[in-house]
Amino acid sequence: MNKPKVGFYNLSGCSGCLLTILNCENQLLDVFNGAEVVSFLMAQSNNVEKELDIAFIDGSVTTDEQEEFLHELRPRTKKVVCLGSCSCYGGVQAMENEKGTWLKRFNKVYGKKPFKVVKPFESKPVDAFIPVDYYLPGCPIDADQFLYNYARLLRGLPADVPKTPVCLECKWHENECLLLKDKLCLGPVTSAGCKAKCPSHNLPCIGCFGPADESNLTSEFSLLKEKGYTFPEIERKLRLFGGVKFIKQFKSLWKKAQK
Amino acid sequence: MKVLKLKKHNLNDYLDSLRVWGEVYGPVKQGEKYIYGQLDDLSKLDTKMLRTILPVKKFLMPPKFNTFTFDENKYKAELENIPNRIVFGVHPCEIHGLLILDKFFLERFPDPFYGERRRKTAILGLSCVPDDKCFAKSTNTHYVESGFDLAFNDLDNYYLVWVGSSLGDDLVRIRLDLFEEDIKEKDLKHYMEWRNWRDSQYKLNVNLTAMPDIMELNYSSPVWDELGDKCLSCGACSMVCPTCPCYNMSDQIRPSQFTGKRERTWDSCMFKQFALVAGGHNFREARSQRVRLWYTHKLKAFITEFGKAACIGCGRCIDTCPVDINVKTVVKALKGGK
Repeated sequence: MNKPKVGFYNLSGCSGCLLTILNCENQLLDVFNGAEVVSFLMAQSNNVEKELDIAFIDGSVTTDEQEEFLHELRPRTKKVVCLGSCSCYGGVQAMENEKGTWLKRFNKVYGKKPFKVVKPFESKPVDAFIPVDYYLPGCPIDADQFLYNYARLLRGLPADVPKTPVCLECKWHENECLLLKDKLCLGPVTSAGCKAKCPSHNLPCIGCFGPADESNLTSEFSLLKEKGYTFPEIERKLRLFGGVKFIKQFKSLWKKAQK
Repeated sequence: MKVLKLKKHNLNDYLDSLRVWGEVYGPVKQGEKYIYGQLDDLSKLDTKMLRTILPVKKFLMPPKFNTFTFDENKYKAELENIPNRIVFGVHPCEIHGLLILDKFFLERFPDPFYGERRRKTAILGLSCVPDDKCFAKSTNTHYVESGFDLAFNDLDNYYLVWVGSSLGDDLVRIRLDLFEEDIKEKDLKHYMEWRNWRDSQYKLNVNLTAMPDIMELNYSSPVWDELGDKCLSCGACSMVCPTCPCYNMSDQIRPSQFTGKRERTWDSCMFKQFALVAGGHNFREARSQRVRLWYTHKLKAFITEFGKAACIGCGRCIDTCPVDINVKTVVKALKGGK
């Protein structure tokens, strides 16, 4: 049987998700033996760009060059899988999205400079340009969740990424609820998969796995408001990793709440 | 049932001796809350504990465990390396919770993974004094008659110890020298006085009389929409509830070969995907429907099926829900109170 052909690609981001895969040292042979890895710039030489069964994409889209690459990639791959919150939601670099124009923000940071190499734009998730089949969120992704889904995808099974809230895994660890301790914790609205790492170290969830399935932002908002948090504080936290998905969700809430 | 006496100052000595049979667990403080933790050091044991974050079900169906490993030709259940455990400090209500889990997992469709752990876990009960979140008297789960191996009743400077099973008897015989067998009339009097005093300590009353009828009448009530709007769908209530039995299964296959394991993890009917079936259909699309299901199961369906509520009045939902949705507030709302 021919092994499925897979490629791993990196757009704008820290490449931490691809590094998470390479850090799976005990399973690394499994990862490379289970498929024909035709392209993985971070891991191997002699990469070739050809027809693929699965393309894993890490990082968000921030240049015209990356956009062109996605349009070139999509027709030659059967499945596209986003790895990490950058490619799923736009990432940390999308936290200021939709706050005035991107160019104004860019100039404020870098000064007025001509774009010589590539034409940059506001950070966007991969699905803003091409259809995406599966999303594995996280900053970075969880190694076990990746390996589980990698094995499924290689066998032609759909990915299985339950978007249950962080609270589920948090309770498994018998952590004290940080919301009940009046901390600004995004656990109930954030997707699990992280094994509740932060709350297990007594740090409130900052939402790095993006929105949970059916996050009840309205209730989370009013709860945090009762605890004395202001809307700008809550918005800042949600924007940090939630990217475009959260922004879309809370924009309408925002309007209602400010009335 | 045999009753014995154990002087309080002998408790740690006794628990220490039980290590010949298995690992010893008991309530220990973690931050401001309690958990059932392993008692390597018996000075960590805190007998004043009221409720642990997770109930004793975590020993019998851990939040996450492997049920079996498999390859292309065969599978092998993981039932062999389950250790003997002694859990001390289990309150009466929680033992009732175990009896409810037994109904799910030991009767019509026996679950070997639960059964084996239940068999290898000695339950050593301990009497308690309620706080303002306990309502076990309302659910009639504040005393135990079965479901435990030993039950310790705290009476000033000694415990009256009920022996509830042959395993319990074996455990007593490990250190028979620490127990006194001559129960006197004054001990009975002492116990009855304690009972009366303890019964008077229940401040919270959640009257569950005729709950199935009240739930039925409320089936289309706007109360469920209000609760659905408020519920965070975090699932914490299900995790901490001693009678919530639901779980999910997933097959973890290795990428390069057909070997793997079937993992079982706690699940909650509060999650949208819980009732998701093939074709993308969902029995309980709306959050309000899911909140309703949880309470219907505890306070209506279980009563109809088994003659009692699947709520033991431990107060964990009251202690856990960040938005104050719990048996106390839901029952009140269903009865028309705010």
